Amino acid sequence: MSTKNGFSRFVAGYGRLTLLMIPIGIAINFIGGQIAVLLKLPIYLDSIGTILVGALCGGIPGALVGGISNILNSITSPTNIPYAILSIIFGLLAGWFSRMGVFRSLWKTLLSSLAFAAVGGGLGAIITLILFGGLSAGGMGVIVGIVHAAGMDLNLANFLVAIPADVVDKVPTVLIVYVILKRMPKRLFAKLPLGSVYLQKTPKRGVVSEPSSIS
Amino acid sequence: MVWSVNRLQSVEAEAPPHTLSDRANRLIDYDFVDSFRRPATQNNWVRDFNPITLLLVLLSISIIAVAVPNLVAPLLACASYVVIAFLARVGKQFVLTYAKLFVVVGLLLFVLRALFIPGKHTLFALGTLKISAEGVTDGLRFALMIMALCGAVALYFALVPMKLLMGALEDRGVSPHATYVILASFQAIVDLSKNTTVVMEAQKSRGIETEGSILNRALAFLPVLTPVLLSSMSSTEERAMALDARAFNASGEHTHLVSLRKVPGSEIAVGCAALLAVLVSIVGRMLSWF
Repeated sequence: MSTKNGFSRFVAGYGRLTLLMIPIGIAINFIGGQIAVLLKLPIYLDSIGTILVGALCGGIPGALVGGISNILNSITSPTNIPYAILSIIFGLLAGWFSRMGVFRSLWKTLLSSLAFAAVGGGLGAIITLILFGGLSAGGMGVIVGIVHAAGMDLNLANFLVAIPADVVDKVPTVLIVYVILKRMPKRLFAKLPLGSVYLQKTPKRGVVSEPSSIS
Repeated sequence: MVWSVNRLQSVEAEAPPHTLSDRANRLIDYDFVDSFRRPATQNNWVRDFNPITLLLVLLSISIIAVAVPNLVAPLLACASYVVIAFLARVGKQFVLTYAKLFVVVGLLLFVLRALFIPGKHTLFALGTLKISAEGVTDGLRFALMIMALCGAVALYFALVPMKLLMGALEDRGVSPHATYVILASFQAIVDLSKNTTVVMEAQKSRGIETEGSILNRALAFLPVLTPVLLSSMSSTEERAMALDARAFNASGEHTHLVSLRKVPGSEIAVGCAALLAVLVSIVGRMLSWF
C-alpha cells in the first residue's frame, strides 16, 4: 500500500475482518445499553462489545472499541470522556484473558467478571475522586452523596458504592460474551485473530485417538 | 463512498449532456450532479468553516474557561457557544440540548457540591446538612467549568456532520481505514438498534416475557441480544466483500465523492487567534494575572 500509515499497517496485521468487527463491537456496546433500558434493567451492560471484540480479535482492537464507544457516547453526555480509560483497559484485559483461554470455561468466565469489576469500580471510583472530587453527576453521585452525608468518609463511600454496582453489571456482561462465543459459527472463528483459541478441541475422554506409533 | 469523481468529470467533458436523449436529460437532476463537483457547503458561513478550524476554536474557548480561575470566564464561554450556534443558524436546537444538559448535568453537579462540601461560612442548614458559602461558590465554578467543556462538545457535533469531519481528517492524512471505522460505527448503531426492536417484537410474539418481575426481564435479555449479535457478526463477511468490490483495500490514493473547500486565509487567522488566546490565558494563569 502506498498510503500506508500507522492505522493501515495495524489493520493489515490483524486481518480485514477485524476492521469490520470494530464498528460492530461499538454498536453492540450501544445496543446492550439500549436493551437494558428497554427491559428496564437497573444495569448498564455497555461493555459487551468491548469484551467480545477483545476476546475475538485481541486486546488492542478491544481497546479501540472501548475507547471509540466512550468518545461517541460523550457526544450526548460529555462528562463520560474521562472514563474512556476504563473501557480501554476492559478491551486489553479481555484480549489477555482470551489468550489464556478464560472464556472457554464457564467458571473462569464468571471469575473474570471480578477482575473487570475491580477495574470498572475501583479505577472508576478513583477517576470520580480525582476529577469530580468524589461527586459525579448521575444516580451514582446521589447515592455516594447520601452515604457520605450519613457519616462515611467520601473516599470509602465511593469505592463501597462503585465496586458492588460494577460486579452486578459485569457478571451478566461476561455471561453474554460466553454464550455468544459458544454459539458463534465456527467458520467465523477461523477468520479472526484469536479465533484459534476457541477452535482447539480438548480431547474427549473415552475417544480412542488415532494410533500414531503403529508402523 | 469512493467513487472516482475525476474520472467521471473527464468522461463528461468528452460527451456533453446535449448528446444524451431528451428523456435522459429530463431525468437527470444536473443541480444534484453538479453539487458533487463543487466543495461541500452547508449554506452558512460558520458551518462552512473547516471542521478542524472549528475544533480548534471550540477547544480554545473551553480551555480558556478552565484556565481562567473565576466565574466570569466559563459563563462567557457558555454564552459564546449560544452566540456561535445562532450565527450558524442551529441556535434553537442547540439551546434546547444545552439547556437539557445544564439541568441534568450542571444543576446536579452544583447541588451535590454545594450540599456536601464543608466550609466555614454557613449560609443555612437543612437538617444535618450545612450549606456553606464555599460550597456554593466552588459548586458554581465547577459546574460552569464542566458545562463549558460539555457545551464545546455538544456545539461541535451540532455544527459539523461526522462525514465532513472524517473528510477533513483524511485530507490531513488520517488513514481511510480509521475514518471508515468511525463512520461505519454510526451506521452500525442505527442498523443494530432497528434490528433490536424487530427481534424484541418477534420474541415477544412467540411468548418470551419482556415485562413483569426483574427476573423475567433479565431472562429476556439473552434471546433478544443473541440473534442481533450473531446476525451482525455474520454480516461482517458480506461487508468485507462489499468493501473489496469497491477497491477499498487497493493501493493508491482513495478518491472522494464529497470534498471540502480549500481553507481560506481568514479562517487560518481565526485559528491562530484562538491559539494565541489560549496561550495568553495559560501564561496569565501561571503568572497569576487573574
